[in-house]
Amino acid sequence: MKHSENMAQLFDRLNELKYLFHYGQKIIPIIQSLIDFMKDTVPMLENINTSIADSASKIPKAQNQIHDVTSATELATIEIMDIVDVISKDITNIEDNLRALIDKEEKKKEILTKLKIMMANNVQGKTLVDELDFEISSFNSLNHMLSIVQKTKNDAYNITIALQVQDITTQQLAAVNHLITSVQQRLASLVLELDDKDLYVEDPKLAKFQDTSTFNAEAKYEKDGTRQKLADSLIQKASQDEIDKLFS
Amino acid sequence: MDLKFLVVDDSVTMRRIVSNSLKNLGYEDFLEAGDGKEALSILAGDKSINFVITDWNMPVMSGLELIKAIRSDAALAKLPVLMVTTRGVKEDIIEALNAKVNNYIVKPFTPQVLKEKIEQCLVSV
Repeated sequence: MKHSENMAQLFDRLNELKYLFHYGQKIIPIIQSLIDFMKDTVPMLENINTSIADSASKIPKAQNQIHDVTSATELATIEIMDIVDVISKDITNIEDNLRALIDKEEKKKEILTKLKIMMANNVQGKTLVDELDFEISSFNSLNHMLSIVQKTKNDAYNITIALQVQDITTQQLAAVNHLITSVQQRLASLVLELDDKDLYVEDPKLAKFQDTSTFNAEAKYEKDGTRQKLADSLIQKASQDEIDKLFS
Repeated sequence: MDLKFLVVDDSVTMRRIVSNSLKNLGYEDFLEAGDGKEALSILAGDKSINFVITDWNMPVMSGLELIKAIRSDAALAKLPVLMVTTRGVKEDIIEALNAKVNNYIVKPFTPQVLKEKIEQCLVSV
């Protein structure tokens, strides 16, 4: 009896084994495709990791290039200002000389007026004085030249004023650089998480780039005066509030 | 009243633009500083400075910190301070007003606006 029970148990186990093999036959292709997937995924992950590390390692170079652009623009702006200053000085000299000439012309006019009175009864003398007046009179053209010179001087000054764009652009570039620094830091921490190693940087000198600039990320070269009007209205309101406080 | 200005900005270009504009307005007497800390040091050594024009965003010490330092120093507290900055949003302007700035210019400025604000500062003090 005991023998037949044992045999029944044996057949049960064999049947279970048969089912297991049967099930295994079904699951093996799935496991195989999972292994294949893993094989494909691992190099892909390595690729992603390498790409991240590669991209991140190039960021300091980009930052330095932006920094170089800022420095070059500042240098060029200063050179423009130097030239404009020289032009302005020259124009001021011309302006001074023109004014001196105009003063002389006025004196000549005064003398001619006196001569005309003196020659009032001398027909020949009067004709000569009139001729002289016609020949030397450059008063109007000198005044016209002076107005052109003054306009040119003002235009030169306006070039200087327009160079404020350099400061505003510098702040915009500094904001971009700051953003790049944040991206690099994030990528570096990703590389550390994926590969447990610090970010490789091609040139160690570039890695030392310090983002110490101060900037307004919202800096804009806008000349419509909207923001100035806002400032004016707030200042006016603040002043009125101060006055109200004094009388309350 | 003879005015002696202190122009504070970390940008060499902006310092020069403001200084040139002052010259153009007939003000010949001015000094320059690259940040708030340098400005305070100049103010401590030169009591004849009676007008400060400052930027906001500067390294070491910002324009806002400079204004606060000026207002908290009894010897400098009444000095007119004009801020010239790219910061043009309401919150920034209010922050500057809370720090007791006398007037506020948003870059890029025109010579006319600079003239007006200097005059308004002088009337208000």
